[in-house]
Amino acid sequence: MIGLALRRSALIPLVLLVASAVVFCLSRLLGGNVTRSVIRSRSLASAPDPAAEARLAAELGLDRPLRDQYLAWLAGAVRGDLGRSFTTRAAVGPEVLGAAGVSATLAILGLAVALAVAVPAGVLAADRPGGAGDRAVDRLGAVVLAVPEFVVGPVLVLVVAVWAGWLPALGWGTPAQAVLPVVTLAFFPAALAARLVRAETRVALAHPSTTTAVAKGLTRRRVLAVHVLPRSLTAVLAEAGPFLAGTLGGAVVVEVVFDVPGLGRLLADAIGSRDLPTIQAGLVVVLAVALVLTLATELLGRALDPRLR
Amino acid sequence: MAALVVVAVIDWPVEATDFANRLDPPSGTHLLGTDQLGRDVLARVLGGVRWTVGLGAAAVLVSVVIGTAVGLATGWLDGTRARIVGTLVQSVVDLVVALPALLVGLLVAAVLGPGLAPAMIALVVMGWAPFARLAHRLTVTARTEEWVVAARSLGAGPVWILRVHVLPAITGPLREAFTARFVGAMLTLAGLSFLGLGVQPPTPEWGAMLAEGRTYAFVAPWLVAAPAAAVVLVSALAGRSRIR
Repeated sequence: MIGLALRRSALIPLVLLVASAVVFCLSRLLGGNVTRSVIRSRSLASAPDPAAEARLAAELGLDRPLRDQYLAWLAGAVRGDLGRSFTTRAAVGPEVLGAAGVSATLAILGLAVALAVAVPAGVLAADRPGGAGDRAVDRLGAVVLAVPEFVVGPVLVLVVAVWAGWLPALGWGTPAQAVLPVVTLAFFPAALAARLVRAETRVALAHPSTTTAVAKGLTRRRVLAVHVLPRSLTAVLAEAGPFLAGTLGGAVVVEVVFDVPGLGRLLADAIGSRDLPTIQAGLVVVLAVALVLTLATELLGRALDPRLR
Repeated sequence: MAALVVVAVIDWPVEATDFANRLDPPSGTHLLGTDQLGRDVLARVLGGVRWTVGLGAAAVLVSVVIGTAVGLATGWLDGTRARIVGTLVQSVVDLVVALPALLVGLLVAAVLGPGLAPAMIALVVMGWAPFARLAHRLTVTARTEEWVVAARSLGAGPVWILRVHVLPAITGPLREAFTARFVGAMLTLAGLSFLGLGVQPPTPEWGAMLAEGRTYAFVAPWLVAAPAAAVVLVSALAGRSRIR
């Protein structure tokens, strides 16, 4: 177990190194005319003059050989300096870390809300097959899984913020502003988790250990909470790590809709303006978090479920 | 399904502007109202079928072909070297399947820049993997079936066996997976376009239309409601046809 953890965590820096080199080189080789995009994002000139382009390329170091550019970036990255944004010239490192903090808060809150709804719903649905809870998980779940975040978000803004005026539509920082983004983000994982928990709970209910627990004369609630619940959470836990990692970069839709200054929106904006240092730093952070979380959930799963060892 | 194909083939007047009637609410002449340039929203939603549904299906179709070919090959080939290649391919598949769809879209857009072609490439990059996994598993099962063993003992070559005996046996589950993946591909494409990283305006792709309409949500909520309803309708219908 510890050996596996060490082996797998030793691989992470290696994967990061390779991935950073690939992204760095490919984005510079295939990405089209970077200087023109940068000038366009700074001013409104649609066709900048060649002299200005050459000056900017020299200023950004884009005229140097690719290998030198990457080694310079790597040398900086090792010291914790991730370079300066092409468009704003601000240091990329603090900006990316700040945005990652916002995204992490959003992701954890979203997952917490989703699980708080989904776990009880899934267990109760499995406990009464064909009952109201079971049908709700079926139908509501199917609807929610069919509706993407870029529909849920704008519709919630329209209904809750614009027409009803209960909550602010945009921004980040106050608890009221967090409600809509967190709820939007929680929709999909809640539906998915409810179905997973229900399926796992059905299996756990049919297990001999459950029959034993019932035969011992324990209350139904105690059987569900102590004997069934731990068994039915393994599948959800296995999904939770990748979900958190995905949300860090993938909550971009929610962050754009609600104007949340997170990592996803930072990345999407940077991609639009070809701000390569920000893209590079953002992707490396997202990838690092994804690798660490995937490993962590796998280890947690093994610790919880002896059958996986 | 057939209705969608018909709608996709027809050329709807998606770019006809009428500046006298901008941001008109739904009415008899414009059933779903008009947008900020006086374009008929109904025409644009119908014209969007070609982009959102058509491109989504096209991406999955390409993914099916690539994934099935890879899965057939890795599932069929035997011997040490083939097994090493197969294991490598399967670990790539595991990695791709684990990545969130929008993240792959962001990654490809980061490398190639935003646009329709990068978005389609992203869809295929993440789309082939599940089909490769499925075809691999199905082929491994099929190769031990009596009729395949019989064909082989009759002297049939591997390509012949795969085409005549294995492929027909595995198309059912693959078709099932096609509809399952189609919804995901369509939503990812629309999501990327919504972010400005996929299909670009003025093309009436539903995600792009939603993003444009959001600016006018206060004065013209139908600009948000119409493409949103279209996306949900198609994904719900495709989801239901999958269950049957």
